[in-house]
Amino acid sequence: MLLTRDSVELLAPVGTWDVLEAAIEAGANAVYLGGKRFNMRMFKTTANFDDATLGKAIEYAHRHNVALHVTVNNLISDRELDNMRSYLKLLDELKPDALIVQDLSILQLAREMNLSVPLHASIMMNTHNEHAVRALQGYGISRVVVNREMSLSQLSLLKERTGIEVEYFIHGDMCISHSGQCVQSGVVFGQSSNRGRCLKPCRWPYQLVDAATGLPIDDQAPGPYKLAMKDMCLYMKLPELIQAGVSSFKIEGRMRTADFVSGIVKTYRKAIDRYIADPMGYTPDLQDWENLQNTRSRDFSTCYALGNPGAAAIGYSGKREPRFFSQAVREADMATLAKRSLPNPTNKLFAPALSVRVADLASLIAACQNGANTIYIGGEVAKPGIPWTLQTMVQAVEEAGKYGAKVIITTPRITMERECGELEQFFSSLAKINPHGLMVGNLGALTLAQQHTALPLQAEFSFNVFNHVAAQLLKNKNVKKATISLEATYEQIMQLVENSPLPLEFIVHGSLPAMITDHSIPEAVLTNQYQSDYDPALDTTRYALLDTAGQQHPIMVDQYGRSNLLFAKDLCLLPHLHSLRTVQNYRIEGQYYTPELVGLITKIYREELDKIAAEQSTYHFDESQLEKIAAASPRELGIGTFRYRLSK
Amino acid sequence: MYTIGILQLTQNLDDAVHGFKAELTEHGIHAEFHYLNADGNIDQLAKLANQLAEKEVDLIFACSTPAAAAAVKLTQDIPVVFTPVFDPIGANLVLSMTEPGGKATGVAGMVKAEDKLNFINRLLPAIKKIGMLYHTEDSNAIVEVANFRKLNNPKVQFIEIPIKEAENLSNLPDILPHDLDALFLPIGKIIEDNFATIVYYTDTLEIPVIASHAPNISDGALAGLVANHYQLGKDCAVKAMQILKGASPSQIPVDTVKTPEIWLNQFTADNLGISFAEDLKEEATEVFE
Repeated sequence: MLLTRDSVELLAPVGTWDVLEAAIEAGANAVYLGGKRFNMRMFKTTANFDDATLGKAIEYAHRHNVALHVTVNNLISDRELDNMRSYLKLLDELKPDALIVQDLSILQLAREMNLSVPLHASIMMNTHNEHAVRALQGYGISRVVVNREMSLSQLSLLKERTGIEVEYFIHGDMCISHSGQCVQSGVVFGQSSNRGRCLKPCRWPYQLVDAATGLPIDDQAPGPYKLAMKDMCLYMKLPELIQAGVSSFKIEGRMRTADFVSGIVKTYRKAIDRYIADPMGYTPDLQDWENLQNTRSRDFSTCYALGNPGAAAIGYSGKREPRFFSQAVREADMATLAKRSLPNPTNKLFAPALSVRVADLASLIAACQNGANTIYIGGEVAKPGIPWTLQTMVQAVEEAGKYGAKVIITTPRITMERECGELEQFFSSLAKINPHGLMVGNLGALTLAQQHTALPLQAEFSFNVFNHVAAQLLKNKNVKKATISLEATYEQIMQLVENSPLPLEFIVHGSLPAMITDHSIPEAVLTNQYQSDYDPALDTTRYALLDTAGQQHPIMVDQYGRSNLLFAKDLCLLPHLHSLRTVQNYRIEGQYYTPELVGLITKIYREELDKIAAEQSTYHFDESQLEKIAAASPRELGIGTFRYRLSK
Repeated sequence: MYTIGILQLTQNLDDAVHGFKAELTEHGIHAEFHYLNADGNIDQLAKLANQLAEKEVDLIFACSTPAAAAAVKLTQDIPVVFTPVFDPIGANLVLSMTEPGGKATGVAGMVKAEDKLNFINRLLPAIKKIGMLYHTEDSNAIVEVANFRKLNNPKVQFIEIPIKEAENLSNLPDILPHDLDALFLPIGKIIEDNFATIVYYTDTLEIPVIASHAPNISDGALAGLVANHYQLGKDCAVKAMQILKGASPSQIPVDTVKTPEIWLNQFTADNLGISFAEDLKEEATEVFE
């Protein structure tokens, strides 16, 4: 297809009015900006647009033939829903060219409210496969900001297969974690990155250590900033970008100044126009490239655009980090909440159901013997553990059946193209296994599962269910149960559970991932050149990152080479079960525990849940139960988000 | 018609720019503004100052100490009005506060130590021992800490808690004396930027935090007595107008913050079981819920 100036949209970030003018003046085809509410850039009170200025900005952009997209890209809690409804109504009247959205509830609300404004899926929706795109298209999404972990060739294919418009970050500050899948700031600080308040724990210094000994690993990398992603810059790869079919080139930086945004926009504008006018004779402008280099904050990387960059995308020295938002803190321990007691809800009680996620058959048996109702198997498995085979899954169902327990098979949270193929292949074998259900990790896997099986489906915590309307959407998609977001605080959980039309499950114990990266952290650090010679130690040793507060964050590298970076403390809400009585379904994340520990924890939670159900008002928590778990646990225990009244 | 250059280190101080422009407009001064911002890159400031000089501006309004330093270093004889520079003498911008003696004058943004102490006494009347947490490499923090040392206050004991690098904040519970009634944060970038870490620990220890950096108050400090940047900009505009009408900056005294604002955080107070005095609440410019 022939290219014209309209083939590519240059999309500029805008935080204030002067940046809006500058971006348009510099040649942006479109701009994106946020209101004062439900926006991902919430740190500066001087930035973003109030309701009246939003209207003026839209008018101004349209007068200059520039499209304007409004970011409504936060997760929202139940108490914010009414405000969100009125905001959506206002935006529909103001008629921007699109809303960029994250929370599933907005898709549902848009349908209920009959919104006419087009919707784009924010990068925070973590869209990385064609099946997710199809599901989003079903909700009227016309464009997706695809996952940064997608390469240009992957997104070409995605566009070709679905016809969706693709927006791709081409320049600016990047996360190390898959978008929408980092909960470290939200859990530790009560300031969620999915709600615009990231305190950037990925910018902390860390030391790579052997998880078993705690000793530092010989480290060739130049500095301690193991997770500090360099800034994205695709200036030198513009032809590849355009020919890959990227509809919109997105520049990051809504808190940047007019000068900065103007400079970047001009540079890319010039290059795009020159390329389209004369693609055969095009070469990058080296003077412009030098200017980009001279005004950069961090060093540049092409990130995942041309494939997994491993160590090349990390700024290990930390020298160019513009600002630190926080230093490592000791995660909240069991004593943190003691001063503040949680209320005792009096709503109706259920017979509490207990699920346990396990990594092997021995753990499955231990959980079943100690009172688990449901066992989760499958999904990501940390090396040196081995993935579940069809054979072990068949055995799992058989073993659990002996105890009257159900087996639900989980699928990975991230399923890129290759893994989707594997998933399809796997689904065709489900009849042999005959499990009781599937728990899927993303919207694409959900769509695939619906096409290939009639099994009851559940949604994993990676769906970030934070309000009851999102639960309603999943219910409408015939999902039978969803997992509550890992970032919700006590009050938010209670409201969500009370309003949800869909049964919800809450994770009360276990080792939880703070973030998931598409590269193996130890491999990047230790081999420097990623994907160089195979080093068997990388598959057999367990590593951890040691932070400056003296805590170890285990790195669980899975069978796909991704790093699941765990919290330093394991979640334990045993003492607070009584306050959680209105929750029907409880889960233990036991896949990183020994079978003995899985058995012990399951037994204790079963006993306490049963006692609460039987004794109700006379229940008294027995501290010795907690001591038993603490003594046997591989890590210290902590209370996660329960430290906070509300998540910001 | 005047031409005025504005030199910024970061966008943080845009409120001052707005106040500056508003005051000029209010007095019917029409000017063409050239606004340049280094986006945090201190190294860029000299180049940007040169760009302003090339535009032959009549005056440079410089926000932040490095921006003011870059503007003053220009070989051209362009007057400089600065804010919120905390230590104009220490930064070699002026010879003295009353008679600057060179091409720069302005309004210093540091709220006086004695005003802060009075405020602390009103905020927490029973307070006896207060920690003063600062970064030893921060020149502004050093100035403010020195100002506090000079205070004569029999009522409150200040315990200095210096940290050498930001990572030390990770171990704050071990560094903080166990019997503190409150923690005071002097002006200083590293401390302000890493406020989330500080309040994370002080929350657990139930120690109220008194901040100097206004945004820290909405983020969880108990309270602060802070300069209003918009007002600083307006005060700078008054000096700028004198210069544009022919006065020499060398003769225009440097002012300090005259009317600092009280900012309170009610949410934090509730968490800590602290109640604000009624008159304090009435006087407060901002009360965060």
